[in-house]
Amino acid sequence: MTEPGPYLRASGLSKRFDATQALEDVSLTLHQGEIHALLGENGAGKSTLIKIMTGIHAPDQGTILVRGEPANIRSPADAQRHGIAAIYQEPTIFPDLNVAENIFVGHRERGTVVRWRRMYREAESILATLGVHLDVRALASGLSVAAQQAVEIAKAISLDVKLLIMDEPTAALSAHEVSRLFDQVRHLTETGVAVLFISHRLEEVFEIADRVTVLRDGRLISSNPRDEVTPQGAIQDMVGREMADFFSRSEHQAGDPVLRVEELGREGIFSGVTFEVRRGEVLGLAGLVGAGRTDVALALFGIAPADQGSVDLGGRPLIPRSPGHAMRRGIAYLSEDRLQRGLSLPQSFTSNITLPTLRRYVSRLRLLDSAAERAVADRFRRRLNIRTPSLRTPVERLSGGNQQKTMLAKWLNTQPAVLILDEPTHGIDVGAKAEVHKIIDELARSGMAIILISSDLPEVLAMSDRVLVMREGRQVGVFVRSEATQEGIITAAMGAA
Amino acid sequence: MPEWARRWGWELLLAGILIGVLILNVSLSPFYLGVQNVINTFQLSIEKVIVAVIMAFVIVNGEIDLSVASVMAFSASVLAALHAAGAPFGLAVGAALLTGAIAGLFQGFFVARMGLPSLTVTLAGLIGFRGAARILVEDQSIGDFPEWFDRLGQDPLVGRLSFGLLLFLVGIVVAGIILHRTPFGRSLYVIGDNSEVARFSGINVARTKLIVMTSSGFVAGLAGVLFAARLGSVRGDLGQGFELDIITMVLLGGVSIFGGSGTMVGVGLSILIVLNIRNGLGLARFAITTQTGVIGVLLILSVLVPNLVSRFARRRHRGPGPAPPSGGRTTDQGGDLRGREHESQQATVE
Repeated sequence: MTEPGPYLRASGLSKRFDATQALEDVSLTLHQGEIHALLGENGAGKSTLIKIMTGIHAPDQGTILVRGEPANIRSPADAQRHGIAAIYQEPTIFPDLNVAENIFVGHRERGTVVRWRRMYREAESILATLGVHLDVRALASGLSVAAQQAVEIAKAISLDVKLLIMDEPTAALSAHEVSRLFDQVRHLTETGVAVLFISHRLEEVFEIADRVTVLRDGRLISSNPRDEVTPQGAIQDMVGREMADFFSRSEHQAGDPVLRVEELGREGIFSGVTFEVRRGEVLGLAGLVGAGRTDVALALFGIAPADQGSVDLGGRPLIPRSPGHAMRRGIAYLSEDRLQRGLSLPQSFTSNITLPTLRRYVSRLRLLDSAAERAVADRFRRRLNIRTPSLRTPVERLSGGNQQKTMLAKWLNTQPAVLILDEPTHGIDVGAKAEVHKIIDELARSGMAIILISSDLPEVLAMSDRVLVMREGRQVGVFVRSEATQEGIITAAMGAA
Repeated sequence: MPEWARRWGWELLLAGILIGVLILNVSLSPFYLGVQNVINTFQLSIEKVIVAVIMAFVIVNGEIDLSVASVMAFSASVLAALHAAGAPFGLAVGAALLTGAIAGLFQGFFVARMGLPSLTVTLAGLIGFRGAARILVEDQSIGDFPEWFDRLGQDPLVGRLSFGLLLFLVGIVVAGIILHRTPFGRSLYVIGDNSEVARFSGINVARTKLIVMTSSGFVAGLAGVLFAARLGSVRGDLGQGFELDIITMVLLGGVSIFGGSGTMVGVGLSILIVLNIRNGLGLARFAITTQTGVIGVLLILSVLVPNLVSRFARRRHRGPGPAPPSGGRTTDQGGDLRGREHESQQATVE
């Protein structure tokens, strides 16, 4: 080991996005030769922290010192100059370049003429230090994800990396590949590189990390040497949120089953999902990002149909072919992605609400009756308390919370039997969130069957009658309301003992 | 900005430009606004303006059709070749119209079902259908059509209006109603703005695109037949280069090249402006190249001005900072969960 000392010292980092305080007063020191693990639920602020370190976001407050000197990291190029590199779950590789070209792609100071032979030699020697054997002349597109990651690490080494940030690098790897990756990472730390390692797999974190830091709600909760942390302790720190300010469901009785899903699956995406939802019931779907919750919803809504198992809706089998078909059978899906899948931003408040049901508002000549459209939009504006300057205002001018409620209105207007809500309160402020919770409760009371996908554990627990937990595309447990705890759910979701 | 100004700002600007152009032209020739002169102005470009109406649908839908002029030539060539081969003339006309629709359907299949970019598909169509037209008529000029057909293309049908002009006037009104007052028209805008939102709202995106591309081919075929009737003969280079004039009219009319916005009123005004500028510059004896230059400048301004305005508005909104490219969207940081966890690659691109 070369002189072990702090390489990067972040102090008091804060960052706010609209309604969300993504990071609040986070201080962290990354030492040379140390593997520092970062844990936290979805949305705990891990990604924001990484993006600040790699120059993609600028912090609202706080400073970063690199080797004791203030570092102004304003762009990925700045980060590169400070020896900071990041690799992600999906390698950012150029598929049509070969291995050596990918390794040296970031080098601009090497002159205009490519000295191929020298480049191949150096690429081979870098890969050798990692203990990786790859044909440096092979096209990157033919490599496995694991090999592509090795190329990314080699690229970082070629750029003289001093701090390597690894964001869920193991998510797409097999157990054998993970152990090879860890060998490569240990090679790196022996040369004095600091590593910031993010993973949702606790056992991996405890295998490789020297230090474990937990973030929750944008704040740093704990940061301790690995030997002083237990998996149970880490989970406690991740989930210890207050539930006090959450809406409490009113008393009600669930009715007959509306939707029955049997061994549902889609090749390579998810499998073995079995549940039923009753009238007036809220079924929570919990799990980490990428656990397959949204994929189940997309299968039910006919976007990416299932190829295994069966669905029964209202006593009749359902094989959803398209969103239109699913809608006609009474399924509505409120997407987690308001901007890319939910709303047409330049279109008016009214047209967004009536979009799925346009054919209801045609007159005898098959022309749109805009007065009827506006009447419906106005009804939802009052009922859901949506603040919009006018019924004709483009939705891009509404706040996030009001956009979210507009989406809710759009789907309620289809009068679904089963309403699937995917992260319905994501990125909206506390007041709007409480209103959405109240609406969900009212809808359930009126007899709608609701599937609630949420990464917000207290929300899932407060709103759901039962919680189905998924991990890596599989259903790993169903908790009834009285037995569900944050610890139990996160333990199931992360696969920790 | 009040709501009406936001909605109709571009159309008002176009109306202002049109009035300016008309005043200039009247000052050049006091007879400029005479009925016959107005009709002649249209008659000389009638095929282009008819195709411009359907092109507005294509571009609002977020696509482009570069092949229209070649499809015109191809359809007209089918008509001419069948006629020369002695087929009944009605059959030849029917076959020509069908040719246009099939050409559109063929391209639409690649765009809507295979998901290829319409720019590439219709560029291939531009080359391919032009080639097909040249093969059919070689380097001849095929004419000798029945008298009624030539008269249909040239003579007034109702009052002083020719068949083509009537077709255009009825067509643009019907098209405006379809675009602005039907579920189909509404879905065109949403698909053009964001086809994922349309798909997640239960709209059959592929079928809609197929209908639009097929209609574009059909209308181009119809325009080709009209052109044959007006000229009285068909050559392989019929309508060559028209696609650029047609697209210019639509873009100048305020239809965004990125899809999802624009009005038929704007397209109508822009058609009037382009026709009158050409006519006026002709009256003032400017060369054709100068006319084209002036229209080119207008087109650049029509794309530039709205972008500058929105950039300026954004800057006032958010304070100084680089404005995102037009048509692109700023990523809402609170928006997408998946995005939030793995958005780094995306964020560097933006």
